[in-house]
Amino acid sequence: MRDGAVRTVVGAVAGLVAAVPVGLLLGTGPLWFAVYSLVVGAVLGLARRQDTAVALAGGVLVGVLGWLSFSLTADPLLHGDAPTWSTVAAASAYPALVADLLHGAVTALLLALLPTRARVHGEAVPAKRIVIVGGGFGGVAAAKRFERLALRGAPIDVTLVSDSNFLLFTPMLAEAASGAVEASHISAPVRSAVAHTRFRYGRVDSVDTTGRTVHIGSESLRYDHLVLAAGSVPHAFGLPGVREHSWTMKNLADAVRLRNHVLALLERADVEPDSERRRELLTFVVAGAGFAGTEVVAELFDLVHTVSRYYPGVGQDESRFVLVHPGDRILPELPAELGEYARQRLTARGIECVLGVRVVEAEADRVLLSDGDRIATRTFVWTAGNRPSPLVDLLPRPSGDVGPLVTDAALRVTGLDGVWAVGDCARVPDPANAGKPCPPTAQHALRQGKTVADNIAAAIAGREPVEFRFRTLGVLVALGHRTAAADIRGRLFSGFAAWLLWRAVYLAKLPGIEKRIRVFLDWTLDLAFPRDIVVTSAPDKVDAR
Amino acid sequence: MKRTAGIAEGGVAGAAGGLVFGATMGVFGMLPTVASIVRTDSVEVGFVVHMAIAVVIGTGFGMLLVRRRVRVSETVFWGLLYGAFWWFLGPQTLLPLLRGNAVAWDLAGARTVLPSLFGHLCYGVVLAAVFVMTRRNHAATRARWRFDAVGRGAVAGLVCAAVGGPDLGRLVLGAVVGACYPLLFTARPEATGPALIRGTLYGFLWWVLLRLSLEPLLRNGSLDWSPDTSTAAVDQLPGYLLLGAGTAVLFTWFGALARGLFVDDVRTFQAEAPGGRGLRATGYGALAGLAGGVVFTAVMVLVGALPTVARIMGASSPAVGLLVHLVISQVIGVSYAVLFRRRSFDLVSGVGWGVSYGFFWWVLGNLTLLPLLTGGHVDWSAAGLAAGFPSLVGHLGYGAALGAVYQWLESRANPWWVTRSEAEAARAAARREQVLGSAPALWVLTVLIAVTLPVLVG
Repeated sequence: MRDGAVRTVVGAVAGLVAAVPVGLLLGTGPLWFAVYSLVVGAVLGLARRQDTAVALAGGVLVGVLGWLSFSLTADPLLHGDAPTWSTVAAASAYPALVADLLHGAVTALLLALLPTRARVHGEAVPAKRIVIVGGGFGGVAAAKRFERLALRGAPIDVTLVSDSNFLLFTPMLAEAASGAVEASHISAPVRSAVAHTRFRYGRVDSVDTTGRTVHIGSESLRYDHLVLAAGSVPHAFGLPGVREHSWTMKNLADAVRLRNHVLALLERADVEPDSERRRELLTFVVAGAGFAGTEVVAELFDLVHTVSRYYPGVGQDESRFVLVHPGDRILPELPAELGEYARQRLTARGIECVLGVRVVEAEADRVLLSDGDRIATRTFVWTAGNRPSPLVDLLPRPSGDVGPLVTDAALRVTGLDGVWAVGDCARVPDPANAGKPCPPTAQHALRQGKTVADNIAAAIAGREPVEFRFRTLGVLVALGHRTAAADIRGRLFSGFAAWLLWRAVYLAKLPGIEKRIRVFLDWTLDLAFPRDIVVTSAPDKVDAR
Repeated sequence: MKRTAGIAEGGVAGAAGGLVFGATMGVFGMLPTVASIVRTDSVEVGFVVHMAIAVVIGTGFGMLLVRRRVRVSETVFWGLLYGAFWWFLGPQTLLPLLRGNAVAWDLAGARTVLPSLFGHLCYGVVLAAVFVMTRRNHAATRARWRFDAVGRGAVAGLVCAAVGGPDLGRLVLGAVVGACYPLLFTARPEATGPALIRGTLYGFLWWVLLRLSLEPLLRNGSLDWSPDTSTAAVDQLPGYLLLGAGTAVLFTWFGALARGLFVDDVRTFQAEAPGGRGLRATGYGALAGLAGGVVFTAVMVLVGALPTVARIMGASSPAVGLLVHLVISQVIGVSYAVLFRRRSFDLVSGVGWGVSYGFFWWVLGNLTLLPLLTGGHVDWSAAGLAAGFPSLVGHLGYGAALGAVYQWLESRANPWWVTRSEAEAARAAARREQVLGSAPALWVLTVLIAVTLPVLVG
């Protein structure tokens, strides 16, 4: 029996025992007073254990409230009369007031005098050590859920390990790169997001699944259950020069650096006399037309064109934006008509969508495409490939098994006892699409985080974990100035309405009300003031990747 | 060892309290009644029996509080509660039984022993004060007071008294009440909500001391705690309650303002900036206030009070009244969140703060603001208080639901008592100790004042 149930029963019994002398003095109907006593006793049994004085005060308080609820309210109703709560009614119920008051005190006294072992049944159960690796959506969601479970009495001791001390709201990363929102406003400190979870800022060096230990530098953390939510990192597939010469968009630093780089290029282009060289400086190539790539190219377009008035040496038609994608349409995650809509909107603004072509090589000042085309550029953004965090390679896996950690439907990593995985680093089967894994989206990672916490609590309690089941709520993509596309459970939106929806949904999803207010203010100020063109890094660092 | 010491110190304190209580019993001629326990009507024997009982009860107090690290002022509230509780258990229950009669659990019987209630309160105050002073490590619980705090208190009391009108006597009373506040409770920074509840009871103490005791004493040369005198004096009780509450709140705010303006050491500011979780807390307050408002609605509908509330907006429709009532409920709920955020850690503490706040709003809202806003006149007479009793029950129900729901919501979002390290656990323990210092006594005393109003107003 759970601790709460035990305390309720013990309290009810104490209430019944206390009712005997008080009921005899009151001389009222024994049945009703017994029922009343059971309820009051159960309430007092559930209360947090304090010393005798506080317990007695609580007993008197509950007794008086019981009098108000029962004698002044329920009793007239049970006799078919409407309660009046008048002083006359209070006067006639005065005997019950003294009785209830004394009954509450005696019940509380009995509970306070009970031996500690009987009062706090199950407190001696040692807490299970749980280590969560990763401070992204999945990891933080799991930690939040564990906090709730701990409040309900789950015997757990949770530590979250992350190499960044903030939760990044990745859907707004492109806006941060374009300066539409302040970069720090789309991230929330992990320590405040999960204020009651132990946090370790650091990178996991190794995991000993046999000894159940995680090593962070010289520190070792033992675990009973390990939750891997390490996310993913950019993957260049070994293409020559891509890793060295591309900008990525996975974290806050990437966004800040890219913004600084673009503004520094504008500064250079403004004083560059050679038109070919200026053209090279003002050409921006983005590889991969998924959500990230499409949003980045649209935001870069907005950034360059909204600040160009400050750069008289830069012509309106000198900048070039190229979105390279190997598929036959952009945004393959969206229905075809929305993908086509997005392509048309981007093309109408002058963004080139090069489809059916891959980037095969990159250099410092050019990008080579699979069709043989060479694009001279100083800005090449790579969003065309991700792979699970290198952390997954630290785990013992069957030979030849690469990519995300394979889990069962309950999020347990196959072949590793006590190890669970969620988010981008996991391949979680999707019951709704047999044979296919869940898509690597934030909304899935969030739900997987909650489910893994529930499943671990279930495993600790000896119950069977449940399958992870979640149907995508919808997908939204911003296409730059006042334009977006959205698919909400099959209902398609585009244009200004979708843009409003995008902003409303993501504003609501931002972690913490403070960040919501800050981003809302950023957007509001953006309506009245020009975009900031301050370059925050040193001039010689703007090209550094 | 500690418990034994507590018993001895409690016994000594009980004897001191018994002397004061015994003196008042002598005045009211109640000692022969006590003597009847041993089948005699001798005053001397009655006094001896009374003192023996006082010592025994004092040892109980010592056992209860010996392990608590509480300050003098906080122990006073525990003493008051202990005295009030023994008024129910002693003269209404045990005394008749020991005399071979049935318990006197009826309103008429309670009114008969009403002087004994104030005697028990005096006993509790003296018991608590002497108990703290006899504690061997009482230096740890002694707090120093400062002149600036006394001045701050006097100004706070003066401002509150001035709200009632420019009456010189009232202003002097306000200044005295305010100046004494930091003498009793020190200038220790605390949250506004607990200060408000403590101030309400501080006002009650002044009512007992001045209106009920000193005034008849100066006028007639003797104490007069008779039921009729108490009933006549009840018309000033709401004023004293509001004066105490207002003084405590202003004193706290003045202190916070002074610290904010003149203290440059940020280490002294332990509180989290309100914007972080404060905004969420206000939302929770509105939600909890709505829940409390729904509970209160049942009372208002059954006693037909909604049209009265509607008059605030110049209407008389119950629907308008309901709307106004629910809006007010949420506004008060938000104020509860602002004042009592992170002050509850379980259901009972949430309900305790909630009902205390509900009682305060009955005095301020129902008895004072509602008549003013609806064009009526403030009626604090015994009849007026009796007429407002249904509303008092509604306010207590509102407060209980408000406190319980808010505590539940807060425990889901920000369970401050859940800690990750020893340092954090120490901070949480300190906060819990501060909350529990006198808070349970404050909650219970508040509801006891509320439910004994029918006894007071007759």
